[in-house]
Amino acid sequence: MRLSPQPGEQIDRAHELDFTYRGRRVKAFPGDTIGSALYADGVRVFSRSFKYHRPRGLLCCSGACPNCMMTVDGTPNVRVCVEPARADAVVEPQNVLGSVDRDFLSVVDKIGRPFTPVGFYYRTMIRPRRLWPYYEKFLRNVAGLGRIDKHRGRTTRFDTEHRTVDVLVVGGGRSGLRAAREAAASGGRVLLVDENPSCAQPEGFELVAPGRAIGIYEGGLVPVESGTLLLRVRARRIVVASGAIEQPLIFSGNDLVGVMLPNAVRRLVRDWSIKPGTRAVVIAADDRALSVVDDLVQAGVDVAETIDLRVREVERIEASGKRGRLQRVLLDGTAFDCDLLVPSGTPQPAYSLLAQAGARISFDPARGAFVPAELPPNVTAVGRVTGAFGAVVPTRPSHGGAGFVCVCEDVAVKDLKRAVAEGFDSIELLKRYTTVTMGPCQGRLCHLASIRLSARELGQDESSIGPTTARPPWAPVSLGLLAGRPREVAKRSSLQARHEAAGATIIRTGAWKRPHSYGDVAAEVRNVHQAVGVIDVSTLGKLLVTGPDAAAFLERLYPNRFADLKVGRVRYGVLSTDGGRIMDDGTVARIGEREFYVTTTSTGSDAVLGWFEWWNAAWRLDVEIANLTGAVAAVNLAGPLARTALGALTDTDVSSEDLRYLDAREATVAGVECLLLRIGFVGELGYELHFASPHSEHVWDALLERGAQPFGLEAQRILRLEKQHIIVGQDTDSESNLLDANLAWLPSFDKEDFVGKWALEHARDRASRERLVGFEMVNGTVPAEGSQVVRAGRPDGRVTSARWSEQVGKAIGLAWLPPELAEENAEFEIRIDDRLERAIVRRRPFFDPEGERQRA
Amino acid sequence: MTGLAFTFPGTAPTVSPLARALAGAQGIDDLSLLGKLEVRRAVTRALTVSADVIPITSSRTLVVCPSKLRSELRRSLPGTVFDVTSALAGIAVEGDELLRRLTELDLDALPAAGKVAEVPALLSRRGNTFRIFFPQEYGDSVVEIVRDAQAGLG
Repeated sequence: MRLSPQPGEQIDRAHELDFTYRGRRVKAFPGDTIGSALYADGVRVFSRSFKYHRPRGLLCCSGACPNCMMTVDGTPNVRVCVEPARADAVVEPQNVLGSVDRDFLSVVDKIGRPFTPVGFYYRTMIRPRRLWPYYEKFLRNVAGLGRIDKHRGRTTRFDTEHRTVDVLVVGGGRSGLRAAREAAASGGRVLLVDENPSCAQPEGFELVAPGRAIGIYEGGLVPVESGTLLLRVRARRIVVASGAIEQPLIFSGNDLVGVMLPNAVRRLVRDWSIKPGTRAVVIAADDRALSVVDDLVQAGVDVAETIDLRVREVERIEASGKRGRLQRVLLDGTAFDCDLLVPSGTPQPAYSLLAQAGARISFDPARGAFVPAELPPNVTAVGRVTGAFGAVVPTRPSHGGAGFVCVCEDVAVKDLKRAVAEGFDSIELLKRYTTVTMGPCQGRLCHLASIRLSARELGQDESSIGPTTARPPWAPVSLGLLAGRPREVAKRSSLQARHEAAGATIIRTGAWKRPHSYGDVAAEVRNVHQAVGVIDVSTLGKLLVTGPDAAAFLERLYPNRFADLKVGRVRYGVLSTDGGRIMDDGTVARIGEREFYVTTTSTGSDAVLGWFEWWNAAWRLDVEIANLTGAVAAVNLAGPLARTALGALTDTDVSSEDLRYLDAREATVAGVECLLLRIGFVGELGYELHFASPHSEHVWDALLERGAQPFGLEAQRILRLEKQHIIVGQDTDSESNLLDANLAWLPSFDKEDFVGKWALEHARDRASRERLVGFEMVNGTVPAEGSQVVRAGRPDGRVTSARWSEQVGKAIGLAWLPPELAEENAEFEIRIDDRLERAIVRRRPFFDPEGERQRA
Repeated sequence: MTGLAFTFPGTAPTVSPLARALAGAQGIDDLSLLGKLEVRRAVTRALTVSADVIPITSSRTLVVCPSKLRSELRRSLPGTVFDVTSALAGIAVEGDELLRRLTELDLDALPAAGKVAEVPALLSRRGNTFRIFFPQEYGDSVVEIVRDAQAGLG
């Protein structure tokens, strides 16, 4: 089937390769696509259509239509007409029951058509509703494209690359190349992308081929698909040279195998030296399409008839054949026997990218196509995409009969008519109802025809109907390419290596990965109560607020007082939003007249930093804020022996007289400058040590040598629950305020102002809807966090935290309850699985309620 | 009361935040223990010691210098200065090809602040060598992403 060597052919006849198609070997030359090699091998039926399973053959040969889609090496929906042939590829037809030549599902076409009009599944398969899953499964099996191999994606590596260029040219045809050369000549970084891998050599610009622009997004972002690489190109100027798309004519039998667009014929002959058929009829509306006659003659094809629609009208075209393959065409009643029919109408500019960029698209009645009118700044269009394709004649919307408007979704002319008759009078609704333009070609071959036919049926002109909205992706793209590499970013403490070496179980909490426990949670808790434990709290947010107005700044930010905080003292603070809701909590240490060291929750640090900077900008105070979260590591040394362990590592007096509860001191510990904060979240005598993170392993090792045992997050959660210390975000939510969360003692309403004061005053004057209280379970069952509190059969509250405490000997927790239940010793019920379990309100800490141990 | 000595490294033994992540890595140099000072204003005049000057915003600048020159440099810098030596980790890597897979910053308009390897970073270049500075707590993640990108380039 190959012609003698042709000038400019793309194949390398000196070499051969072969691949497997339906179990047999098919020969190809380098330069062939899988589609061209199959065609040369005699394959004519390439696929079965989406709905009716009609035989389909090569139509466009340029990667636009769905007709050649096959599964290649497990990847479905590969357009083999543009997929380079490669040795040992395994190629299989898809969406068939039986074989592509004898597809049993073509019964839908033969006898099922009356039962499957447009939108039939909206009407006939809806009752009874519970059967829909089965209907859907059936429909999915019968209709559709290839099947995804669920495990294959994991083996393909997709990468993403970013480019910033001065000029991006999309399309490497004559106009695109000229634009790229000119831009390169005037200096600047120029990138040209073209679908065709054998695009011309670059001259002073960079070339990506094959490369398909997926869309144009805000800010000049153009994602370009190039195999397994996604290029995210940002260009100052975008030149769109995407050309025009040959349009099929609509007539009876227009989807038969052997009906081909001119470019398909041209490529078969010129690029791959293949004789496309034996006897052909050509119908064209412009010079370029007409020139395909020369290619046919060159290939030795007998051209039975050539019709230039500009000089001769044809009203009716009827193609017919046997077993889906063209044999004969009737042109206004005159019959021509042929196995190749090359009909094409007015080309349609490939304007989609321009429309996405914001261009106005209008219908040009003189050309019978949509053309880009007004372009946004920084975007230019050159070549055929502008509608510059010489003399054309607007072709008829249809040449009669039951032709297909959309070969992707098997939408026929009568389907559109029926939809219009049903009342779908807007093109956007028609599109959604009939699914025309929504298939793999994304309207390349059916957008114009569907609008023109709708216009005819609705009795309107094309301009008033207008084009449908152009959206990315313009080129088909795999989800793997969009997803790119799995990049999971986490924050880790500078002590992470030590934790992992100690066998810690690591969990993710917010942005951080941190130790859950080191093996035995109960032993870790016991050790803190009886000896001394140490936990890595480097994850705490740490901010330095400094400057002449630092005290005034915090005084306005926090509901409680900070202006009167003495140097060397620490105070607990809770931030409120403007709406009076709890935002974050932590401690504030005054480490100088003008310097405050603020800690935040681990997950809230970025939000608090932003909050501080925002208010600092708003109030214009003389304050500088520095984020020390990563600079400073922190550990909490806790337990009755904490003082002994710490004292052995420092010359500073850490006695209870000199370093009192809520004192802050700078001290050298194990040779490292530290800030000591005598505070406690876990309820035992405790010190937080804050020091430069590169020293963290040194300090950690020294503390362990002095007998401290590491404890993890889980032990800390139990210990703090024994003290009823809340965790913001766990025990509070976006509705919680200080008054309801048992922190009514904290805000100073006599301050002139603070963020959230107005809202909190309102909350104070209203009855509260719920309160956060501690509880213990009567029978010791630990409810899941989030469990419902149930009263009179209805949900009325929720558990936020619950744990078993060995120290207390009870299942304990925190819960939001209606105010009338939130009284000491009140009983209420919690739903656990399907049972209701009794619980009792405990409003004071379960352990050391007077705080004697942490003040010791 | 304070010179904030607890916020930057002293004389005790130090460990780079990237020490573990970079074990066995090739083509990635660790810059984490270089001295880093954040100046709360633009730095326009010449410095007394050799240092990299990377603008963060119009009113914030990062100055990178050998660690032992930190205090000398700090004295010569104007305005409020924070020693962020222990806050930022840093790496040096080679090649535009690699950086294109790590950041969408314009590699011909450096230094600049932006996202590199999915984290907030400062990026500068000298010839074909790029320096990336980022919060040290992201160290493991950044090294993992950089090594993965290197593997993708083969």
